[in-house]
Amino acid sequence: MELIDELKVKIIETLNLTDVDPARLTEDSSFFENGLNLDSIDILELAVMIEETYGVSIENRELGEKMFVTLGTLARYIAENRL
Amino acid sequence: MRAFVTGIGIASPAGTGVSEFLKSLKRSVPLIMPLSLFPVAGGLLLPVGQVPSFQPPNGIPRTHALAEVAAKQALQGCPEPPDAVVVGTTTGGILTTESLLAADIRDPARYLWHTPGSVGEHLARTAGCRGPVLTVSTACASGTTVMVIALGLIRAGSARRVLAVGADSLCRLTYFGFSLLKLVDPAGARPLDRDRAGMSVGEAAAALLLEAGHEAPVGALCELRGGGLSCDAYHVTTPDSEGRGAAAAMKRALEDAGVGVDNVDYINLHGTGTPDNDAAEGRAVREVFGSNPPLLSSTKGIYGHPLAASGAVEAVIGVLSIRHGFVPANVGCMNPDPDLGITPLLEVKSRPLDVVLSNSFGFGGNNACLVVSGPTADGRSAGLASLRGFRVLGSACLSGAGLLHETMAALERGDDCRGAAPDTAVSCRLDAAATRRLKRLPRLALALAISAREDGGDTACSPRSVYFGTGLGALSETYDFLARLFRTGEKFSSPTDFVGSLHNAPAGLAAIQFGSRGANVTVTGTDDSFEEALYCAGHLSRQEDEPILCLAADEAHGVLSPRIDRSTQGDGPVLSDGGGALLLESVDDANRAHLFPTFLGFPVRGLEVIQHLVRALGGAARICEQFGGVMVGIPWAVRDTANEQLSCFLAETGFPGLVVDYRRVLGQYATVSATACVLGLHFVRNGRIPAVLGGSAENSLGGKGILLLGLGTKVSAMAVHR
Repeated sequence: MELIDELKVKIIETLNLTDVDPARLTEDSSFFENGLNLDSIDILELAVMIEETYGVSIENRELGEKMFVTLGTLARYIAENRL
Repeated sequence: MRAFVTGIGIASPAGTGVSEFLKSLKRSVPLIMPLSLFPVAGGLLLPVGQVPSFQPPNGIPRTHALAEVAAKQALQGCPEPPDAVVVGTTTGGILTTESLLAADIRDPARYLWHTPGSVGEHLARTAGCRGPVLTVSTACASGTTVMVIALGLIRAGSARRVLAVGADSLCRLTYFGFSLLKLVDPAGARPLDRDRAGMSVGEAAAALLLEAGHEAPVGALCELRGGGLSCDAYHVTTPDSEGRGAAAAMKRALEDAGVGVDNVDYINLHGTGTPDNDAAEGRAVREVFGSNPPLLSSTKGIYGHPLAASGAVEAVIGVLSIRHGFVPANVGCMNPDPDLGITPLLEVKSRPLDVVLSNSFGFGGNNACLVVSGPTADGRSAGLASLRGFRVLGSACLSGAGLLHETMAALERGDDCRGAAPDTAVSCRLDAAATRRLKRLPRLALALAISAREDGGDTACSPRSVYFGTGLGALSETYDFLARLFRTGEKFSSPTDFVGSLHNAPAGLAAIQFGSRGANVTVTGTDDSFEEALYCAGHLSRQEDEPILCLAADEAHGVLSPRIDRSTQGDGPVLSDGGGALLLESVDDANRAHLFPTFLGFPVRGLEVIQHLVRALGGAARICEQFGGVMVGIPWAVRDTANEQLSCFLAETGFPGLVVDYRRVLGQYATVSATACVLGLHFVRNGRIPAVLGGSAENSLGGKGILLLGLGTKVSAMAVHR
């Protein structure tokens, strides 16, 4: 499975987004207002999931803000840094 | 009636005992050090505020032991026991519980000290208190919230000597929890600093002994002038960035104290060192005090953030700063952040002080603010003159049968209502997407809150304040957080579960649901949590906070419930849960009240407490005149004591009417009394109690009310009228 498809499933599972269809998510899907509409706790939850699953840690706020823009930006960062 | 501080006590990373603590305040050196209390498997070593060389006596958890040390100091020299104890704690015995869970210990006898309520009970027992024992868990606002409640008790004449304590120990839940939320500064807390990066988790206990008087008694240290509570109703963890809730709490406290902004000499900030808290607090201070606020500082750079204890520690600091004429420094701050718009004091300043304001803000948007002044200052009595009763505008309950109408129908059919509240009943009121992160307890609480509000209809408006009782708190989140933490060798766990594990999280969610910005109090007094929540509402309610939402719930958790609540064994293999919710308006005239939280007592010397209860209700004749039935809560784990108390009550009053033990039909859980109360209101309206509870098919109440009795470790009485 492609990383981005795997991520879609894991994100939905981790955050219990039962009304979100993974098939409707794309590279450009946003984490925030006009997309998944996640808040700060959701992002922290994803950060833990990403570190536990891929060994990629988000050290600080700035890094978090760069990674969590779209599914695509997140997938690319993980692909570049995973263990 | 006014409240004077006549005793103080403290156990903290900055010293145990007032004299040591005072030296640390003046020395202005950070005492935050790397954690050494327990080993960290995953290697995450962070600076914390740890009480040095502190060994709890055998079998007593750390929080209870710290609380006891502080309480004993505050009570020293007082010839009489306190007649009320109010304790703020979030951890309770969890440090001990963590080890028990990690070792998979299942014996309930080992979990006796787990609940936050057990801290209050332990102090009451130790101090010989026979009156109300209240345990409050409003996260980091707890320590100040208890002071405001204690003040309320004294003003209403409900107590003359109140022991008010805030206590929390370090534990894995909070140590790892705050770290997972990325709220912890690995360099140690630097409150108000431009480069601040978070808090340092800490532990401590502090106690104040408060005595009632029209003027300062001999030896009074200070006066508790006023207090203010509010809720952001914004987000479960992030404070409202504009600081509106915080500003509201400060304004309320000042108004309550009858003190103007120009009369405040010093503000002890909450100042945890997190970017968000300090920024919001800065805005709030400027909103209230304008561009020229008084001297201000956060003292958490010295001892860290001891969570529920912080408000109590800082109340002690308020007293010491007034008594010794100095303003403590904002330790840990090298370069004050210019964006805050407030400049903290960086060095201790000696000067006479008369009025100090202390802030405490917690998750759930809980805000609490206290005003302390010198004892000779001109005082006036504000607040309520007596305990309030309530008119019920709307109600709801959840039982094993479902919501209120389903429960009433089941009872009429003669069916048992034990068991866990059905998922369909719980979920039908909830928006699935909005509640996707919520586990059992917050779902129960929100379903109850929404149902009660709906029942109020158009004639009622949305609640402005929330009082929530829970005996055991959010078990699913607590268990899941710790299980995952242990499973991953302390490397990973869920930030959502940590936030959800806080006892006051459901109350915060209810406030967000309705935009309730008034007082928000969570009470965790084990089997008496609902009664204590209503009792607090009866002492704190104010016009702008009404209507009030008072609710209580507990969840059935397959692993934790049988271990932590031994009464669940009384239901055999069945685990019950649910609760009740009421939309209320306070009334001046007790005769117009549907509900009156008359009495809370702590059995210290045998059955004396029952005599006090009978007296508080107006005596045997009055009881028989007013009530057609008695609904009693007999917690299975303490049934021998409770049955003795009941026999004593019946002997004292000669009560001729129907007496029913509702737990046999509604189930064994800490806040089942809330379910019983809501049902009792409907029984009174219908004029009869369903036969499944006891008696016969008729069971007429003869037009009279119902007396709700809570018996066992604590004793309570609530009057329910038409």
